[in-house]
Amino acid sequence: MIVGIADPLRFILDLLAFFSIYLMLSISLNLEYGYTGIPNFGKVLFFAGGAFIVGATTTRLLLFLMGLSSKNYCNFNVLYASEVTNQLALNPALSITMFIVMLLAGAAVGGLLGYVASYPAIRLRETYLGITLLASGELLRIVARNYDPLICGTLGVSVPDVFAWIPVSIKEAVQVAIMLAIALLIWVFVERLARSPFGRLIRAVRDNEIAAESYGKDVVKVRMKILVIGSAIAGIAGVLYALYVRSVHADDFMPLRTFIVWVMVVLGGAGNNAGAVVGSFIYVLTERLIMQYKHYIVVPFDVNYVSYIVFGAILILMLMFKPKGLLPEKPSKTLDFEKIIKRIEKRKS
Amino acid sequence: MEPTVIIDAIIFGNLLVLLAVGLTLTYITLRIPNFAHGDLATIGAYVAYFTYVGLKLSPYLSVPMAFLISGSVALLSYLIIFKPLSSRGTSIVGLMIASIALDVVLRSILHIYADILSETYKVISRGFIFRDSTITIGTFDIPCLFVISTVLSICLIISFYMLLTKTKFGIAMRAAIENPSLAETLGVDVNKVYAVSWFLAGGLAGIAGVFLPFRMTAGPEIGWFMLLRTFASSILGGFTSIYGAMLGGYIVGFAEVIGMYFLAKPPFNVPTAFRPALSFIILIVTLLLIPEGLASKIRLRKIVMFSKNPRRGGKR
Repeated sequence: MIVGIADPLRFILDLLAFFSIYLMLSISLNLEYGYTGIPNFGKVLFFAGGAFIVGATTTRLLLFLMGLSSKNYCNFNVLYASEVTNQLALNPALSITMFIVMLLAGAAVGGLLGYVASYPAIRLRETYLGITLLASGELLRIVARNYDPLICGTLGVSVPDVFAWIPVSIKEAVQVAIMLAIALLIWVFVERLARSPFGRLIRAVRDNEIAAESYGKDVVKVRMKILVIGSAIAGIAGVLYALYVRSVHADDFMPLRTFIVWVMVVLGGAGNNAGAVVGSFIYVLTERLIMQYKHYIVVPFDVNYVSYIVFGAILILMLMFKPKGLLPEKPSKTLDFEKIIKRIEKRKS
Repeated sequence: MEPTVIIDAIIFGNLLVLLAVGLTLTYITLRIPNFAHGDLATIGAYVAYFTYVGLKLSPYLSVPMAFLISGSVALLSYLIIFKPLSSRGTSIVGLMIASIALDVVLRSILHIYADILSETYKVISRGFIFRDSTITIGTFDIPCLFVISTVLSICLIISFYMLLTKTKFGIAMRAAIENPSLAETLGVDVNKVYAVSWFLAGGLAGIAGVFLPFRMTAGPEIGWFMLLRTFASSILGGFTSIYGAMLGGYIVGFAEVIGMYFLAKPPFNVPTAFRPALSFIILIVTLLLIPEGLASKIRLRKIVMFSKNPRRGGKR
């Protein structure tokens, strides 16, 4: 039993849910920055892309499929969402299809945004690229905030529950398990990608662009591919986030989120996927614990700000004294020496 | 078009010039885009608000104090964070991450300060605004801010010109920025020059911060809202030219205010909330079409150098 936490199971599920979302984001940033050297300061843009597509389409699409009207959608979106949820609870097949469709849509939107963003990415130097991506993220947020048809502007939009058909007692656990499984799959995918010949190529691009180019590698294309893959992962994370939190607000996607993901990657160690796991776990655990215990601390201000100050300081100190992170990048794995000898002998005989 | 729109545009341009010159000054030292620059302005805004609420004085009187405090914060951030990092050979991306971290730290401190301020004086500390007095000439009123900020900007332009071309320190400064190792060999204290640049940059941002609450509702995030506009101005001006930054500041300011004035009318009917999008569009279009900025196009280089850094050429 953890002291002071009313519902430990709920706490752990919540922790794991946020961990899986941030894990996906930090893996994707690790792929872009750690392995390829693209400073993506606009991570929130792709994350928001995934969440916005869920917020903007799920309820409307389902209302359309069920033959219901979506008149005056923004003012009654909470009602519409709960209506749709009731229908989904009776129809597991539709719910599962919807979930998969949303995941694919999120990946597609993320990937598309990544493709658009890669246009300047391959032409600009890192400084300008960072500024451009950061600005684009803010632009998307401003548009979403002020253009009501998308996600109902400042009001925000509520998202139907595609897991409503599962019995209430295990619903949350199943949802979190699915999220963790997806995060794990993505982790395995990126890890395999990093160890493949393509993984060596992206590190070559990071370490010496000119050398990679002189070996006939198309640096521009490599960067483009990585941004599309990384952004698609962030898009999936956005979809899962929106479905877990069950609502989408434009102001939830401040650049602060990008900063959080950077903290995770730099803390854990850029260029090492295990580092992404460690970094995101440390951050999420700290954040959730502060959320739980902040009612016990009496100060005339919000304790969250103190945690941001601490994480900012940690980030700067890491850059100063341990720039490689807690788990530094390891040299790429090669075959065992004896295995190589055996193979050569086999070939001879 | 009403004259008030033009006055608005000039004021907004003045504010952006104050911010963009500072951002450019810090950029030309270590070549990092300082994402914490906006927060230096926020500090200025809160110094002014404290003067207004705590000391019951006009916010205008806080200009020297804001200059000193924001300047000191900028100087300290250079001495404690950026100089050690850059001497340890941290990459530009590393320095950018550090500046984002500094931005988050400063903003959180300002949030805490805002909470404490409203607790102590029982006033709102987010979304405050200053009421400006006006000078009446003939039939229409001119806001005081128009006079003060314009005079200040003109003084700034002249004094920078004098500093950089007529004084020994200014010439040393240009040398240190153009080629740090050569300047060091010739006895210029590069470190001192950089420190002064950061202090000046912070101070100018602080002054802009004092003026900001006259134009828009201010809170701990106000500097962040100005930051991307400041980047747009600096980059439009070439990012390495101080006079380019001044030009860029006025262009972005005018484009935003006057552009919005026309866009808000029929046949466009764009909601004014989209106003920040205009400067983002300027930023992105500049980077894609003329990444080297206006300074290179209209040969501002001849007036003030700061243009080419022999260490980094080529692709931007």
